[in-house]
Amino acid sequence: MLEVRIRKNLPGFNLDVAFAVNQEILAVIGPSGSGKTMTMLCIAGLIPPDEGYIKLNSKVLYDSDSDINLPPQQRRVGFVFQNYALFPHLTVRDNIAFGIRHLSRQDVEEKVGQLLDKMHIQELGHRYPRQLSAGQQQRVALGRALAPEPDVLLMDEPFSALDTHVKERLERELLNLQQFYQGNILFVTHDLSEGYKLSSKIAVYESGRILQCESKQQVIAAPANRTVARLTGVRNLIAGSVAEIEGSSVWVAVPGLGGRLRVAARDAAQPAIGQQVTVGIRAEYVQVADHPDENTFPGKVSQAVEGVSSINYCFRLQGDTAAGYDLEASLSKSEAPPISSGQSCYLRLPPDRLCIIRD
Amino acid sequence: MAETYLSPLWISLKTVLTATAITFFLGIAAARWMARYQGKFRNLIDGIFILPLVLPPTVVGLGLLLLFGIHGPLGKLLLLFGASVVFSWPATVIAAAVVAFPLMYMTACGAFEQVEINIENAARTLGASEWRIFWSVTLPLALPGVAAGAILSLARSLGEFGATLMLAGSIPGRTTTIPIAIYFAVEAGDNHQTIMLVLIVLAVAFGLLAALAYWKRRATNTGNIPLVPQDID
Repeated sequence: MLEVRIRKNLPGFNLDVAFAVNQEILAVIGPSGSGKTMTMLCIAGLIPPDEGYIKLNSKVLYDSDSDINLPPQQRRVGFVFQNYALFPHLTVRDNIAFGIRHLSRQDVEEKVGQLLDKMHIQELGHRYPRQLSAGQQQRVALGRALAPEPDVLLMDEPFSALDTHVKERLERELLNLQQFYQGNILFVTHDLSEGYKLSSKIAVYESGRILQCESKQQVIAAPANRTVARLTGVRNLIAGSVAEIEGSSVWVAVPGLGGRLRVAARDAAQPAIGQQVTVGIRAEYVQVADHPDENTFPGKVSQAVEGVSSINYCFRLQGDTAAGYDLEASLSKSEAPPISSGQSCYLRLPPDRLCIIRD
Repeated sequence: MAETYLSPLWISLKTVLTATAITFFLGIAAARWMARYQGKFRNLIDGIFILPLVLPPTVVGLGLLLLFGIHGPLGKLLLLFGASVVFSWPATVIAAAVVAFPLMYMTACGAFEQVEINIENAARTLGASEWRIFWSVTLPLALPGVAAGAILSLARSLGEFGATLMLAGSIPGRTTTIPIAIYFAVEAGDNHQTIMLVLIVLAVAFGLLAALAYWKRRATNTGNIPLVPQDID
């Protein structure tokens, strides 16, 4: 269990965050300069916050009220730096053994051997960091951080410097890591799909604040506000007001689209009638239909960008009132035939894929 | 005959090695301390550390003479223990060390700054004490730069003339170092003595240049670790 509640004034913004994780993997996502790395440094004790409270399991690491500020050496926090920060003058073995010098020689040997095995770098023990590829350095950094069996593992953009194929392999290995590391893992990333794959919980940062910190499914299905929706890649945000509520269905009047949208509300807390809300839908969830139906609007392709496995379309909606409204859709190539630019069709916004954002 | 030029060589070697050993540790300690110190006197202290490099050596010598003379604060203190350094061999060491100190200090500052803060931070999160981090991480990584600084300050103290003459004078067999011996040999028109001393200085200078080149290469090369082709993950 890691509890964090810290404030720190920084040039440009104030960091003011609070969250707790309990034996889970937390992905910290957000734009650069939003305080993600600073939070990690504060937890590790490398930079002191201005005030607050940090507790790891039963140990208080920092408490401004009672003047507790444990040095990083006593915090049992493992840290994997963005550029790995390996000791360039030590071999891989000595790097990994650096934090377990208190053990007997035999135990150190054994433990380093185990970690080299787990990280799949058995044959690299006698190399120096500069003789390793980025992916190998990453593994050494992880092995070195895990050797002293930390209570929490912090990783600052662990995969940002890697090639795609190496990155994917390391992501899978990180998921396997949970089999032998039962602690909290926090990692910073600016890649939502990476964060979603690896974590159980996502914290969305912006300008030194946490906008939402919930299970990853919840963050994606129900963004707390427009900023979270934008940061988590919700491309279509439609302004409207709640017109009618019936059971789990919420009708939102959308003047821009010249109609109403039915939203299948997921959570119990329903909005009030008349409330101004934003309806969000990810580009991947927008469907193309050939005839008008519920939540369906006529539109014309104004731009199509072909990706490897899907095509991203920008649709300009047609009709009397909805004209000029743009919707983005990402359609899988294997499921939908390509639509050429200028072609007309109907866009369907599935009610169970829409989310209501109360701002 | 050999005695006349071997004596200054011997005195110079003793002086230079002692002075370099002192500046080496003092320079590292000062650089290390300044890296942490963020107080309001930072620029002032930094300036004082570098001052002997900027001032004419005769002025430094005069300052040391005022400090260590029988009326100076340090001179009086030493007199309590029945000691006096002015015009003695230790004076050559003091003069050489003070004049060479800024070079060691500045190079060490630069070398420590080059050590990436996250590497030291990684050591901290791994539980290493600050003492262990300094000896097993910071110093080894800064070593090429620190060694270059030691060679520079050694060269500077070998060439030291003005401050040494002011504080230590020229007492043959006791305080006459090579540069001072050369000056008086030239003044006395003793060509043989001059040439022998100059040749000795040249030999030492080339040795130092070679050592400096070696450590400079180490500094840019981060150790003599062979680079092997990288494996594909």
